[in-house]
Amino acid sequence: MPDRDAMTAWRLVTASLALAAACGLPECATAAVPASAGESIYLQGVLGSGAPLVGNRTNGGASTQGADAACVNCHQRSGLGSTEGNTLIPPITGDNLFHGHAHSGSMHGNRSPYTPATLARAIREGVDPEGRTLSSLMPRYALDDADMAALVAYLKSLAVHRVPGVTPSELHLATIFTPDADPVKRRGVLDVLEHYVVEQNGSASANRRWQLHIWQLAGPATTWQAQLEHDLQSEPVFAVLSGLGGSNWGPVHEFCEQNAIPCLFPNVEVPIASDGDFYSLYFSRGVLLEAELIGTDLARLARDTQHLAIVQVYRAGDSGEAAAHVLTTRLREHGLSVRDRILAAGGTSGRGVAAALREAGKADALVLWLRPDDIAALGSPPVVRQVYLSGLMGGLEAIPLPASWRGLARLAYPFATPDHRGAQVNYPLGWFSLRKIPLVAAQVQVDTYVACGLMAEVGTHLADTYVRPYLIEQLQGMAEHHLVTGYYPHLTLGYRQQFASKGGYMARLTEEHGTVRVVADGDWIVP
Amino acid sequence: MLRLLGVAAPLIGLAAVGAAFSQESSEQSAPPRASHSFMSSAQYTVPDVRLVRDDGKAVALPEEMNDGRPVVLNFIYTTCSTICPLMSQTLAQFDHELGADRGRVHLMSISIDPEEDTVARLHAYAQKFHAGPEWQHYTGTAQASLTAQRAFNVWRGDKMGHSSVTFVRAAPGTPWLRIEGFVTPGELLQQYHHLLEQSGATVATR
Repeated sequence: MPDRDAMTAWRLVTASLALAAACGLPECATAAVPASAGESIYLQGVLGSGAPLVGNRTNGGASTQGADAACVNCHQRSGLGSTEGNTLIPPITGDNLFHGHAHSGSMHGNRSPYTPATLARAIREGVDPEGRTLSSLMPRYALDDADMAALVAYLKSLAVHRVPGVTPSELHLATIFTPDADPVKRRGVLDVLEHYVVEQNGSASANRRWQLHIWQLAGPATTWQAQLEHDLQSEPVFAVLSGLGGSNWGPVHEFCEQNAIPCLFPNVEVPIASDGDFYSLYFSRGVLLEAELIGTDLARLARDTQHLAIVQVYRAGDSGEAAAHVLTTRLREHGLSVRDRILAAGGTSGRGVAAALREAGKADALVLWLRPDDIAALGSPPVVRQVYLSGLMGGLEAIPLPASWRGLARLAYPFATPDHRGAQVNYPLGWFSLRKIPLVAAQVQVDTYVACGLMAEVGTHLADTYVRPYLIEQLQGMAEHHLVTGYYPHLTLGYRQQFASKGGYMARLTEEHGTVRVVADGDWIVP
Repeated sequence: MLRLLGVAAPLIGLAAVGAAFSQESSEQSAPPRASHSFMSSAQYTVPDVRLVRDDGKAVALPEEMNDGRPVVLNFIYTTCSTICPLMSQTLAQFDHELGADRGRVHLMSISIDPEEDTVARLHAYAQKFHAGPEWQHYTGTAQASLTAQRAFNVWRGDKMGHSSVTFVRAAPGTPWLRIEGFVTPGELLQQYHHLLEQSGATVATR
């Protein structure tokens, strides 16, 4: 995937910078990227020798190995354990294992603290300090002494430290704006954030006052990560909340992953989809999801015809470029090819759009990754069977598509359609209205409100355990219970899930009594 | 209708009655019992929902379930890292130990996180557990999965609330054996054979 390639490039460019800066803070030494042998065992299931970790289950269960046998699967990245149904996975951070006496009724049972020797016995033979057998869910691991020492050292490092950005009375959060972010949307996002912080700090349930830091990036994208490292040094924050990007969020995503900073629900059209990344959570895959939706639809269209000539149009450097790459890949998997018409970067004034379409030649299906200015300047429609548009880029139901194009148009729409939104959107809109927040970009502002709501709610789940990976783990569990989901029909996360809303509609535009409406054309699709 | 099996019921594992209702902690000492499972017999009405099989085909749940073969059913999701891999391993080992009888059974695993578990992800998950043609995984809409979970009384408010439950049924129309907790492959095999014998006896005396 192109976003994957972009990520790799970023990692190469910025690796040395990040390594130098990542441990500027005393506490981040254990959370940062450089892998120890113990970390490899815990997170990847790879032994010091490079061989896969092997876990054997007693009680007739099968053995597991490699990544499937890694401790992180059950005990989580934070080491604080988890609950699944009536199964409790106990915390195994250093302070839990080695200090204090676990009381009866706690998750540890009634046991004395472990020593390195009794812990080694527990891991190898499944026996606790009191001589009792551990649950059959816990595999037995035949680690050699060096691997055991490395693992024990890693578990000790997982102890709950004082975390930057958290004081007894304050919780420091940052919000990030890239220089290419739309200035109107930026104002709208900031309005919501600032009002939410005031509201949150006045609420009786808040156990810490939120302090919001605005990190405004400037200059070329190659310098953003260094700017963010600097911001983090001067204003240590616990997490990054919301924010707004343009077409390139890669450096911010990479900053969050490398510094182990939770980066919660930024407003971006092109999020970074990367298996294995942990700290970045997004509402949806944005235009990349739209490309999958359109690809699925085109593949269906192609089944009824012998040949389908497809042309896609995007502006160089805009979000549509990444979407176009994904669509090309998807169509290729279905044996379809697509021709690209690329408009010059920078212009969103509609210049050259009509001419580009005329020059594109004959097409059966046209895919337009265009902004409202370009869409308004489309001119008269060519002879095509179907026109696909990005709802996200085109302005959703405010899309200024000329009337003569409407009958041909199918809109990728990764949200609930307007007639199915109801209270999920009306509640935040009413909240804005009461506080006289100008509605300049409704969907982005509502997403910002939902992001704040999720942060506030997860704060109550954390109790006083302000540990960064634990914040992500709690969000993975509670997201689907959050009541106000905004434009999304539902939100769910889970272990190794980055995107809370997974699907979308293909929609069409209808006109009734002079009003243009967006209506779903078929079911919710998860491509 | 849920009927707890009486003492006279010739099922093994009754010593474990009650285990499923106490919280299991990996650090609690293991009681001296064969397994951490709890068994009951139950009748469920298979709901008429459409699901999507891991080969991409849209299917009706009743037809999938009522093709005449004995069914072993569980509910899983592919990003579940704690109990689902163990449940799937148990099914895989059970399937392997069936040997030549493998072709007679239908193993079914229904996703409780269907939007994340696309056909491609389910297929990859199935391959990881070496699922043969007798073992299918199912996804679908969130609503369809929910309906199926409710019908089998496994919905616990969210996917994180789910627990290990395995269902076995000898033939359409006969009761389901509901096994709560972590049954071992060997125990599952015994239960399966026993249920088939019982069912055969019932058919013979009709």
